[in-house]
Amino acid sequence: MSVLATNSYAEDPEAIALLKRMGAAAKKLNYDGVFTYQTGSKVQSIRIIHQANKKGEVERLLSLNGAARELIRTNNIVTCTFPEGKRINVDRRPLGRGFPSDLLSRLSSAVPYYDVSFGKQGRVADRSAKKLVVTPVDHYRYGYHLWVDEKTDLLLQSNLLTDKGRVLERFIFSSINLDADIPQSALEPQTSGQALTWSRNQTEPVYNVKSKQAAAEQPQVWNVTWLPEGFTLVAEQSRRKSENGTLVEQRVYSDGLSSVSIFFEKRNLNYHHLEGGSAMGAVNAFGTIADTHFVTVVGQVPARTVEKVGRSISLAKH
Amino acid sequence: MTTDDNELLSALVDGELQGLELDRAIALLSTNADARERLQRYQLTSDVFRGYGIGHEQADLAQKIMMALMGEPRHSPLPDKPVEKAKVISLPVRFWQHSLGLAVAASFGALAVVGVMDDPEAQFVPMVPMAVLNMAPVLAPVRPLAIAPHTMVAVAKIVPSTSNRGNRWTVEEQEIEDRLNVYLVDHNEYAGVSDIFSNARVVAYESGQ
Repeated sequence: MSVLATNSYAEDPEAIALLKRMGAAAKKLNYDGVFTYQTGSKVQSIRIIHQANKKGEVERLLSLNGAARELIRTNNIVTCTFPEGKRINVDRRPLGRGFPSDLLSRLSSAVPYYDVSFGKQGRVADRSAKKLVVTPVDHYRYGYHLWVDEKTDLLLQSNLLTDKGRVLERFIFSSINLDADIPQSALEPQTSGQALTWSRNQTEPVYNVKSKQAAAEQPQVWNVTWLPEGFTLVAEQSRRKSENGTLVEQRVYSDGLSSVSIFFEKRNLNYHHLEGGSAMGAVNAFGTIADTHFVTVVGQVPARTVEKVGRSISLAKH
Repeated sequence: MTTDDNELLSALVDGELQGLELDRAIALLSTNADARERLQRYQLTSDVFRGYGIGHEQADLAQKIMMALMGEPRHSPLPDKPVEKAKVISLPVRFWQHSLGLAVAASFGALAVVGVMDDPEAQFVPMVPMAVLNMAPVLAPVRPLAIAPHTMVAVAKIVPSTSNRGNRWTVEEQEIEDRLNVYLVDHNEYAGVSDIFSNARVVAYESGQ
């Protein structure tokens, strides 16, 4: 038995149950609200409209200050449009194993690695909220202070904390209309001046050791020799980038609450790649070039975690 | 809205708040619609001053410094072995505390070198002299070179880019940035407990080009 497991915190079953309900509420409720995203010195107000029905989820986010950026997520596509013409569009919820996310069902596996308890009752967006305090057992994961709506279990505020207790990111609803009757028009793109391009990348069979088809094109088998304790492979997919057909493999490792994705992309000699670390808000990335591939670790975990995972990746010897 | 509240919001837009003041501002925004509207106006004004939306790349030095001061390092432990660090920009608070008085002359397009003493948190750290910041274009790739225990030297070159900010990848090339953005959206499926907000990072992403 590992040191961490023997020293794991005692959990509050009610707090864990609320954490699960919180995740489910975000997917099943209809809501229309405005929240603030704050990281470092940056503050952004964002409107979120979420609709859930028998067909699944539709979500639209619109930035309210600065450039009017917009993101629409449906069951399988995410499109983001910037008025400057900059566009991010990617397919989502592809057919690979573990997609869409089933983290909610894995939450119990996170218990040994976090202390989840109730904090002081609070009030967010004029609603009474229960506070959850999520404290990791080591410094390879972030901690959270979460305020959850008392009536609906929806997450109203999230403070993401470093291991020193500093707030690295804060999301907080300033107003929210729950059980809103959301008209279809509210979920349609309203960005003007730029044509939206919707694309859906082809999903490829997942590559692994046993796949002969995969081996013919991508014989590399990767070893990941270090992960934070409790992290296991929970999802994987391979697909081609729409712009150039490059094959990208994504593997997701998680402890049930925090996750890292490792991306393996065939190296293109015409392009450079991230060599080392980079950060965007609380999301960290670590990139390296291994053999003929760009390898990138991305996660909402500390920089030390993505770096250590990234440095442990190597090609398996045949 | 009191004068004090207005000043608080103004300071928030300017990135001057920390700790209790920041909490106070967030609380104000959570409960006061007037404050939210005022914040948007301030933000709009700030954006205009900084050239957003009108195609300029102007940036106020004071704001740059504030952003830099807020951009604390995200790495604390030393790596397992010495490695060449990334092409990233990060301006830790301690750096400024240590080196504000160490401004080393640097001219546009030139290389700048400065030393920083014994900062265990300075991992991805580029050490950048004030003189460099003073030039509106921003800093980009930096390669720290260890030359002696507790001493780091960084070589920074200046390129017409944007500086390190909280919600933009700090990388050298557009191609790399685009690739990371695609990965980010893919990873958001597994963003964890706060996944309701995960796509906010994409919407809030700074275009800044």
